[in-house]
Amino acid sequence: MKADKLQDAIGMVDGDLIARADMPPDRRRLPRWWRSAVAAMLAVVLLLGSLWNIPPLQGSYAIAEASYPVMAPYPAKDSTHEEYDAWRSSIDERQQYAGAGKDLDSFFSATMSTFLADEEQENRVYSPLNVYMALAMLAEVTEGESRAEILALLGSESIEALRTQANAVWNANYRNDGAVTSLLGSSVWLNKDLVYEADTLNRLADTYYASSFQGEMGSAGYNKALSAWLNEQTGGLLAEHANSVELSQETVMALATTVYYRAKWTVGFQNTRTAKRTFYTPGGELLCDFMNQTLHDGDYYWGEHFTATRKRLADGGYQGYMYLILPDEGVDPAALLTDSEALRFMTASGEWENHSGGKLNLSLPKFDVAANTDLLAGLRSLGVEACLDPATSDFSPLLADDSMPVWLDKAEHAARVIIDEDGIEAAAYTVMHEAGGAPPTPGEEIDFILDRPFIFVITGPDGLPLFVGTVYTP
Amino acid sequence: MEDERIIDLYWQRDERAITATKETYGRYCYAIAYRILASHEEAEECENDTYLDAWNSIPPARPQPLSAFLGMLSRRIALDRWRKGQAKKRGGDRVLLSLDELAECLPGEAAPDAGIEAKELAAHISAFLRSRPRAEGDIFLRRYWFLDSIKEIATRYNMGESRVKMLLKRTRERLMTYLTEREVTI
Repeated sequence: MKADKLQDAIGMVDGDLIARADMPPDRRRLPRWWRSAVAAMLAVVLLLGSLWNIPPLQGSYAIAEASYPVMAPYPAKDSTHEEYDAWRSSIDERQQYAGAGKDLDSFFSATMSTFLADEEQENRVYSPLNVYMALAMLAEVTEGESRAEILALLGSESIEALRTQANAVWNANYRNDGAVTSLLGSSVWLNKDLVYEADTLNRLADTYYASSFQGEMGSAGYNKALSAWLNEQTGGLLAEHANSVELSQETVMALATTVYYRAKWTVGFQNTRTAKRTFYTPGGELLCDFMNQTLHDGDYYWGEHFTATRKRLADGGYQGYMYLILPDEGVDPAALLTDSEALRFMTASGEWENHSGGKLNLSLPKFDVAANTDLLAGLRSLGVEACLDPATSDFSPLLADDSMPVWLDKAEHAARVIIDEDGIEAAAYTVMHEAGGAPPTPGEEIDFILDRPFIFVITGPDGLPLFVGTVYTP
Repeated sequence: MEDERIIDLYWQRDERAITATKETYGRYCYAIAYRILASHEEAEECENDTYLDAWNSIPPARPQPLSAFLGMLSRRIALDRWRKGQAKKRGGDRVLLSLDELAECLPGEAAPDAGIEAKELAAHISAFLRSRPRAEGDIFLRRYWFLDSIKEIATRYNMGESRVKMLLKRTRERLMTYLTEREVTI
């Protein structure tokens, strides 16, 4: 048959055309595209306090702005080959850093349990990657036992090894091409009256892409500048938290790190299939909007106490997903966050022995979860103690005058994750309760209904967990 | 694992190349085959056959991008299997629909066993697609390479199904004109 021959020939067209057609389409010109997206952002602010009374002074703030790598823009629909090639090259350039965080699983697991598993049954959000970057910078400005404890938590043999890894992690997770934004922002807020070690500040700028600012601690102007930086880095979506962050007059230095991540689903939810459905919160029933989609080649995972699926995000690579983990009936998400098997799954990037693929009907509530967390108690329980106590802390790499007592005074973070899309139309699905540990029958169609508290994990361009959270109330 | 590293393993005749390919592109190859065959078992067999074909093709090939090369192998293997009738009873509607539509853009008839070689025809089609706006070429390939349904394409590109159909019809007509002008016979 002649059409067969044409079909065969189409199968042999140039590979770059196939790769291009397999890319997520550009919807930048469509209205409100980002609402069919995942938007997430987090800020960590570490404040270093001092007992010394430092007199206030006036002044301006920015000393140096971090310079981020320039990426070619995501190709438009009518782009030329050259434009497409330029974009692909800039994506490929990121690949040289791939796998930089492969040894961080134990850090991710330990901190996820510590910062998320509480008994309050409230929505929580935590960014393992962001806290990793904040702690790496903290290690840079400490010495002795203070640094050793941080290195131990991060699983690094030395500060040199940490520098190499942190820089590669930053680069592996950096995307800024107009379609995907994945940015780990860092900044250093210095006290105008103190003299800092230039080598350390240069190291923070070079290795961690940290911008630096210097001003009068405790002044309204300097607080406002920090808020503005946090808002700028997080797209304004953490404004409520960012605007309340204050530096006190005693603050020696503040380290602020942020994660801003926004990406489209590779295949968005159809607005017309969004429907009202009951979500069973710990406090009772809640009617909310569920987005529905049939995944013809869906992934289905299971463990002893959970089932899970994932949905791909268009990040220009192959690792960006939102994993949706549904604890078995009667199992609380917080309990699952202390379960070693479930934690292993959350850091496995989909490499999981109990895995099946096939037609999967996904029903996912829209949600917008935000959480503020004080990290200090958690850090202490994770073995980071010396830098919290003025009697034992060692911040000698930071100040020219290392006789001044400095310690980690505050460690605040705020996070918010939004998933969304437009439109409402009725749709119905059958609720199926999969028993933990049981694989589906081959060929079986799976209904994956997230209508009770669940856990999500968003992996970034390099497959590392950018955000992990619990949703008790969508 | 990065493509370059996987290809190096093939060149070194290191069987870890197969494992790495499966880890990175297994689901992709499976999905392409499943669209054609609508059978999990047969799609899995095609996926495994793809690894064997890749092993036999690299070296000498050093494909770039590797994903498209593996996808091409999976698609060809699955179509061959479909044509042998093993899957027709169970599914394969996507292939039939695709063939019906493609029949509309066949240029002049050639004598039996004559006509252009598939590889040369593929070069013409590649050139044609490059001459068109990117979205048009992409949608054509989504339909006839990936065998996406009209509905899937409409969702992917956020447009109505009727618009997708119209766009594909015009592209087919343009392709026929393009091939006819170059005196291509099939």
